[in-house]
Amino acid sequence: MLTIRVPELGESIAEGTVARWLVKEGERVERDQALVEITTDKVDAEIPAPVAGVITAILAQEGEIVAVGAELARLEEGASAGAGAPVASKPAAAAKPPLPAPASDGQRATPMAKRLADAAGVELRDVAASGVSGRVMKADVEATREARVRTDAAPKAAPAKAPARAAKNSGMQDAETKARFGSYAIQEGDRVIPMSPLRRLVAGHMVYSKRTSPHVGTVAEIDMGGVSLVRDKHKTAFEAANGYGLTFLPFIVHATVRALREFPALNASVLEDAIVEKRDIHVGVAVETDKGLVVPVVRNADRLSLAGLAAAVEDLSSRARSKKLTADELKGGTFTISNPGRKGNLYGFAIINQPQVGILRMGEMVKRPVVRAIGGQDAIVIRPMMHLALSYDHRAVDGAPANGFLFRVRELLETAEFDL
Amino acid sequence: MALALETSWLGTLPYGAALARQLAAVEDRRAGGPDRLLLLEHPAVVTLGRSSKAENLRTTRAQLAARGIEVHEIARGGDVTWHGPGQLVGYLVADLAARGAQDVSAWLRGIEASLMEALAELGVPSRRIEGMTGVFVAAPGQPRKIASIGVGLKGWISYHGFALNVTPDLAGFDDIVPCGLYGVTMTSVAHELGCALALGSAEERAFFERSRARVAAAFERALS
Repeated sequence: MLTIRVPELGESIAEGTVARWLVKEGERVERDQALVEITTDKVDAEIPAPVAGVITAILAQEGEIVAVGAELARLEEGASAGAGAPVASKPAAAAKPPLPAPASDGQRATPMAKRLADAAGVELRDVAASGVSGRVMKADVEATREARVRTDAAPKAAPAKAPARAAKNSGMQDAETKARFGSYAIQEGDRVIPMSPLRRLVAGHMVYSKRTSPHVGTVAEIDMGGVSLVRDKHKTAFEAANGYGLTFLPFIVHATVRALREFPALNASVLEDAIVEKRDIHVGVAVETDKGLVVPVVRNADRLSLAGLAAAVEDLSSRARSKKLTADELKGGTFTISNPGRKGNLYGFAIINQPQVGILRMGEMVKRPVVRAIGGQDAIVIRPMMHLALSYDHRAVDGAPANGFLFRVRELLETAEFDL
Repeated sequence: MALALETSWLGTLPYGAALARQLAAVEDRRAGGPDRLLLLEHPAVVTLGRSSKAENLRTTRAQLAARGIEVHEIARGGDVTWHGPGQLVGYLVADLAARGAQDVSAWLRGIEASLMEALAELGVPSRRIEGMTGVFVAAPGQPRKIASIGVGLKGWISYHGFALNVTPDLAGFDDIVPCGLYGVTMTSVAHELGCALALGSAEERAFFERSRARVAAAFERALS
C-alpha cells in the first residue's frame, strides 16, 4: 500500500488546498494519471499516480488545506478494481512490505531528501515515497521523522473549528467591507511576510471568536502576598524535589478551577440556542513558542493538587516549546488561562478561545502601596499586586455570575490556603 | 545537463486554442518531446487562476461579454489577470524533473530572472518584490508590475508561464485587480520608455517584435 502525499513543490511552499479530486475511491488508475489538483497561491499542481493501482482511500477532502507531506490518498499497487468494497479489504498489505519502489536497497531519492535523511538518522527504506517513479522526496523524509517524534500538533492548536475559508483568508474582511475600507497599498521598502499556516489558523480563530462572542471584560486586582508567602516557603524544596521551579501559574490555575466548580456558567459552551455547562474542567494554558501561540490543555484540572498542576503545566509548556505535544493535548479545553507574563503588562483582555465562554489573562505582578486595616487603623502597606482580567461571552454569561466568579478567584488567591 | 528548448511564435491565438496547444505540448513532453516556449498574443481575455477571488474582478461577466472580452477559469496558480494585444504571452512547457529542478519556487524565480534580463536589454531595469511573484520595474514609489507569472504543474511538467506587457493598452487592466494585488499598478515596456505606440501600427509591431526576440533569447540562454 502506497501513501500519496502532498509533494514538496518548492522551497517556500509549505501547504496547499485540495482543489479537486480527479479520481474516486476504488477507482483503478494508470501510472502518471492525474489524481488530484492541489492549489497554492502561485501554482496549481496535478498530482499523478506514481504507479498503476487502485485508490483505496481518499484522505483529504476538497477545500481542505494540506501541508507538504500530508496524506492525500492510499494506492494499492497493481491491484485491480475488484467488485465489492476495495477500501475495507486489504489482504495484500500483510504480505507486502510497505514499500512503493521495488528495489528496497537502492531506494531512489532526491539529493535534498538524502541529505535530510542522513541528518535526521532516517533510513531511506523506511520512508514511503511520493515522488515521480517512487522517488523519495524531502517531504517524505520529514513526514517519517515527524511521525516518529509526533511533533506537528501546532497547526491544530486552535480548538475551534473555524471554517477552512476563514482560516485561508486569515480572517480578512469580506469583499464588501474590503471594498469600503480599502487595503493597504504596498510601498517601496516594505517587507511582505506570507503568513505561516499556524499564523493563519490563529488569525482565523481570533476573527471568528470576536465575531461569534460579544466579549465583555472585567478586571480584579489581587493581593498576591499570601501566594508569595506559600511559594517562598516551598520553592527551594520544591525545585530540589522536582527539578523545575514553582511558578505563580499553578496557583492561578488551582484557584480558577475551584471557582469554576462553584460557577459552572463559566465552564460552558454555547450550542446554537442552548448553553451547555460541562461536568469536566479542562484548562487550556496559553504558551508562547517561537512558532507562535499554542494552548495545551490540563485535563481534569480540578482533580489535581497544586503540585500536580505545577507538574502538568511544566510538562505541557516545555513540550509545547520543543514541539512534542500531541494533537489530543491541544483539544478539549473548557476554559483558558493566558499568562503573557512580560514586563509592562498591567492588564489586558484576551480573546475567548472558542467554543469556550471565558478566558483569564494574568497581568504583571508588581509591589504597590495599598490601604489595609491594621489593628482597626487604616494603613498604607506594600503588597505584591496583580491584575487578573476576565473576558466572557455575554451570550452565555451575565455580569453578576462573571464578577462573582472573578471575585471568588481573588478570594481563593488572597486566602492562599494551598497544600503543598 | 543542457536540454533543448524549442521556441515558437504562434501569433494571435484565442485563449481556448492556446490552452489546447499547451496541453498538447504537455502530452508531447510526457511522451519524450522537447521543452517548449510558446510565444503568442491573445485577443482581450480575463483569466482567473484557482486562487482567484471574485472581488478582484471589478466588472461583471455580462459587462465584459458585452465588450467581447472572454472570461476563463484555468488551472494555474495566481489570481485574476488580463491578456490582450500588445502583451507578449509565453507558455513554458518544461519537465522540471528532467531538468533536476523539482522546485516550483526556484522555477518561478528563474522565469523572473530571464524576463528581467530581457527587460534590462530593452532598457527597462526591473526587480522582484519578495513575497509577490512577477516582475516589477525598478523605480521608486508604488510598485509597478510589468510581467505576471503563473504556472501549473502536471506531475513535474510545468505549463502556463508569463505575460509581459510590451505595448498593450493598460486600460485593459482596469476591469480587474491584477493578481489580487491592491495598490500595484500595471505598466508596460512602452510606457516605461515613454513611447506612445498605436496598437497595430507598424512601429508598434516592430517594437513588439524586437521585444519578443529579446525575451526568446533570454529564455533560450537560460534553458538550453
